[in-house]
Amino acid sequence: MHQHQQIWLARMANQYLPGVGNEILKLLHQPQAKHPFANFMVMEVLVMLVIIVLFAFLRPRLSVDRPGKLQHVMELMYDFVHSESEDAVGHGGARYLPFFATLFLFILISNLIGIIPGLESPTIDPSVPLGCAMAAFCYYNAVGVRELGIGKYLARFAGPMWYLAPLMVPIEVLSHLARPLSLTVRLYANMYAGEQVTLVFLGLTYFAVPAVFMGLHVFVSLLQAYIFMLLTMMYVSEAVSHEH
Amino acid sequence: MKTKLMLLTLVLMALASPIFAQTGGGAAAGGTNWVAITSGFAMAIASGLCGLAQAKAAAGACEGMGRNPGAAPAIRFALLLSLVLIESLALYTLVIIFVKVV
Repeated sequence: MHQHQQIWLARMANQYLPGVGNEILKLLHQPQAKHPFANFMVMEVLVMLVIIVLFAFLRPRLSVDRPGKLQHVMELMYDFVHSESEDAVGHGGARYLPFFATLFLFILISNLIGIIPGLESPTIDPSVPLGCAMAAFCYYNAVGVRELGIGKYLARFAGPMWYLAPLMVPIEVLSHLARPLSLTVRLYANMYAGEQVTLVFLGLTYFAVPAVFMGLHVFVSLLQAYIFMLLTMMYVSEAVSHEH
Repeated sequence: MKTKLMLLTLVLMALASPIFAQTGGGAAAGGTNWVAITSGFAMAIASGLCGLAQAKAAAGACEGMGRNPGAAPAIRFALLLSLVLIESLALYTLVIIFVKVV
């Protein structure tokens, strides 16, 4: 995979704050680097700051009788995630809503921030979707263990009958391991391919034509964020379902 | 008859181990870049089959929505989910190409 060029944010971070990056690398016993901040690291921090500022802006403006525009938009998003989680997880689904909404908002803003010229989606580097997928994986397992207890949760892997266990356990373990892999690859490949297609067509034809591909990329970004959240919800629903 | 055919196929595949005797790996020095050619074919096959599968999903969804317009939101949801899952299969091939070729 070819190296991405450093965007201006990463260049600034590497110029003024290499010490911070190298200290963190030293803490994790990694070799020191000349440019410790990769593009996606800086962009992830930027996305995090955008989300924090958005909610810091929203909180004082929340009002029951005179809601503002931002409150309407955030209520739309909240209702969307709430109804989806009730649909997918079942009746008590809303207690997992904070995680789902965080995942959705983070991936959505990460995907869309690449459209702005000069900035780059952190999700085009495979580490970022991997991080989100590992978080989702640990979350659904932890929620399943909390709901059912570790004994009953592990007993799920043995399948419906006890004598099928030697066959079912490897299959179940493999399928559970395939989930973060597929989540990662789906998000990473969609974002990376979208960016590459736009760049290739920018080199091939003149100015306005790649805008069509960029429009497709926006649609795909929205869809992939929704699908990531939806699949996480489905895994959580499977983990906490009480079989009677 | 069918079981015998299946058993025969399995045995043939098991005896096909001379395939492993071929030297694996990269382009000959100054020769044709077989990895790039193969990756082109692989991506084409993956995209073609993925296109067929998505067409079948879309056809089923359109027919369902035509027969029962009241169920359109549920059908639309199932259609989007299946399209994304099928798309991801073609993308796995693309990722291998990115890892090996680019």
